[in-house]
Amino acid sequence: MPENTKTALVIGGGPAGMEAALRIAQAGFHAVLVEKEPELGGTLRDLHSSFPRWENPRELIDHRIGLLTKSRRVTIRTQTAVMSSVRQAKGFRVSLKSLGNGGREGYEDELDVDAVVLATGFELMDASVYGEYGHGIYPGVMTSLEFEGQLKTWAQRAGDIAVDAPHGVALIKCVGSRDRSKGYPYCSKICCMYTAKQAGLVKDLFPDTRVYVFYMDYRASGKEYEEFVRQVIEEKHVRYIRGRPAKVLPEDGRLLVRAEDTLMGIPVEVAVDMVVLASAIVPRPGTLLLAEMFGARTDEYGFIENEPFEPARSSERVFYAGGCGFAIETAGALNQGAAAAAGVTALFNEER
Amino acid sequence: MPRQRVVNPEEKFPTVPGTVFLFRSCTGSLEYPGTENAVKETLASLGIHALMDPDQTCCSGYLLTCSAHKPEVSLAITARNLSLVEKKDLDTYTFCNGCYGYLSELSHIMMHNPAYLQMANDLIARWGYRYEGKTRIYHVQEMWYRLRETIGQKVVRPLAGLKVGVHYGCHYLAKQYGILDDGGYPTFHEEIVEILGGTPVFYKERQLCCGYSVGRGFTHREETVQPHLFKKLTSARDAGVELITTVCPGCNVALDREQPNLGKRFGTVFKIPVIDLSQLIALAMGMPLQKLGFEANTIPLTGVLKKLGL
Amino acid sequence: MPRERYRDRDENLYATVDAYHLVENLEQCLQCGKCAGICPVANLSPSYNPRQIISDVLSGSTSRWLKSEEIWRCFWCAGCYTLCPVDIHFPLLMMQLRYLAVASLHGLKYIAPFKRFALRAREDGLTFAPGSAKGRERIMGIRGGIGLTPWPEVSEKAREEYRALFDMTGSTEYLDRIREEEDQPLELTYLEGRITGA
Repeated sequence: MPENTKTALVIGGGPAGMEAALRIAQAGFHAVLVEKEPELGGTLRDLHSSFPRWENPRELIDHRIGLLTKSRRVTIRTQTAVMSSVRQAKGFRVSLKSLGNGGREGYEDELDVDAVVLATGFELMDASVYGEYGHGIYPGVMTSLEFEGQLKTWAQRAGDIAVDAPHGVALIKCVGSRDRSKGYPYCSKICCMYTAKQAGLVKDLFPDTRVYVFYMDYRASGKEYEEFVRQVIEEKHVRYIRGRPAKVLPEDGRLLVRAEDTLMGIPVEVAVDMVVLASAIVPRPGTLLLAEMFGARTDEYGFIENEPFEPARSSERVFYAGGCGFAIETAGALNQGAAAAAGVTALFNEER
Repeated sequence: MPRQRVVNPEEKFPTVPGTVFLFRSCTGSLEYPGTENAVKETLASLGIHALMDPDQTCCSGYLLTCSAHKPEVSLAITARNLSLVEKKDLDTYTFCNGCYGYLSELSHIMMHNPAYLQMANDLIARWGYRYEGKTRIYHVQEMWYRLRETIGQKVVRPLAGLKVGVHYGCHYLAKQYGILDDGGYPTFHEEIVEILGGTPVFYKERQLCCGYSVGRGFTHREETVQPHLFKKLTSARDAGVELITTVCPGCNVALDREQPNLGKRFGTVFKIPVIDLSQLIALAMGMPLQKLGFEANTIPLTGVLKKLGL
Repeated sequence: MPRERYRDRDENLYATVDAYHLVENLEQCLQCGKCAGICPVANLSPSYNPRQIISDVLSGSTSRWLKSEEIWRCFWCAGCYTLCPVDIHFPLLMMQLRYLAVASLHGLKYIAPFKRFALRAREDGLTFAPGSAKGRERIMGIRGGIGLTPWPEVSEKAREEYRALFDMTGSTEYLDRIREEEDQPLELTYLEGRITGA
């Protein structure tokens, strides 16, 4: 790398990180994109479809990877982790470690960078805390992310008539979100949308399967979002029942969901075969360590926070984007990646 | 961040106490005195001396549930009883979920509302009592779980795979924070049953309340409580439960004493004996039958005892 | 259903209903329905719904509930409180509504059966001691037979102080009042479970 070209370290290769690296490179600076998994894409790789247009996330990943690999100013370091950092006059000296790269496992090297973008994304909370729902106890109970994997498997075997279609699927929203007692008080923002997506996909795969979504509210505030949820209810015939379930019980090989239909004021019991829990969105555990390493500010939940009046910046020379800042959808992560890149390039231009 | 709910038994009881204040349960001592015996014996065999105090009165919780007196009475009575324990510098151990629930709730209210604590202390000061909130309140089921391995080593009458349907009751798990298991899907009683050599049965309505708080007299007993108990006992019977355990004499009364009435009303005979978990532990640890007091039970234990060769 | 005029509803919830400050977080209720989903009574009685009671009480309609039968149905199992995402202690709300109801002379028939229990408890320092001599003998026989004192030891001092607390707080008067007002004798059709001899 030429001595005088400023370099940003982008930590996390999901949509936010990829976008930030791309824009920094397009502006004429260098980006080192570090990702601990073997592939770029982040949580997008686990997704089967997307809202609000039912698009294949793989296309977005492949498109971005194409641009990134073509760029001469982006260095992609997959299966790499950031181990430590020492703040310098105008940047950081970071130590990177290979996590297993065909013989290079454990290999450490150091890098001097002029700015950092944290883009480590989010994960779903451990739903086994909700003993009443039986995650980890009954095989048919899984989190939304686990269910996304199940949807992918079903889609791949769509032509195979031996596929065991479930007779009933219940999707439960707000598991851990909007919960001051066992979970987190905040709303995880995207679950109403992705739950509608998942419910719709089940109906596309198995039109005869009964699909229920148990909700308190449905939050669809975005372009084409309301239309998307209405399509799932009206055209794909998913039943929405208002009421947070109280319990999931096994009976005769099926799972009973006990809830109150609050719009009718009647307690109900619905028999299904699978229960999908939209678990609260939380930052990945590595995020807190990285925040400490780089002096980024975090809130009480470990999400990265911005400096006053600086939406994409957490502390001097440290920017952030995407799920590590809070629950966010793909389009939002891309936008924030671009905003973080703008912060980086403004800083670099100022110091030219 | 979510508050800590479930605690490790070793964290909650870093050391095992040598002496504890055993809080008398009215329903326990009157309806199922065998439970009182079993608790004392089991504590003794675990090296714990149980001290009881004739100056202790009823916790007054049941009367509070029925609105049969004013809450100020219960607050003052709680303060008085707990100050007795504090005078002895001990921790309070109950063997009734009801006592546990009310002592915990009422002491919590006093600790968080200085005016109520003041009112209670003003009332009891005339006899020289003063409640400071120092004594900690536990239920013996927590000690059984804490010392489950020791109990396991002392089992002399393993339960021969007896199918036991556990009944947790409501007021211990309702505390939510700082207890040994989560109310969503508790399993610590089943673990104890396994250690004793029994087979725990996870029957569908395992976690249903017993309905005791109103079981004894509210006007809607026939409409609500009996169908409710019928649901619970049917679920236990259908799952093949041979014995139900409780940790509350109140639950024991509801589940045991109502069975003949349910039989008359719904035409089904249940005949599932119901005993305290402490009695089951004591039985497995070799306590003489005549001290276990099963003659107090409405549904006889004969079938179960026969299966265990006793 | 006829339209209800909201302007006639009570204001100042905390001064009237939550006089004991035990359920100060009622407005946190999300109306999620977990309480009604688990409630054993709601699952048996169509008119009983803890979630609806909270909502109605928040809107200021307490008089409907004071006159109701429903508030006397809560088991106090606290299943609602255990599951509630904002830890609303619903039984403590029911308790306070019950006291308010009695103060406005509703629901006395529900606590009338407990009058004798309460008065006997006041004497004994214990609750649920049987009233009949036969009942007491039976218990003493069992207790003696298993090696305990025939009757649970409750000191004279304890009983005096227990009684005094009832009197000082006006609870004895409260119980007497039940006797004087709407005392409707109830037909309790259940039978006491038999204690077998084996």
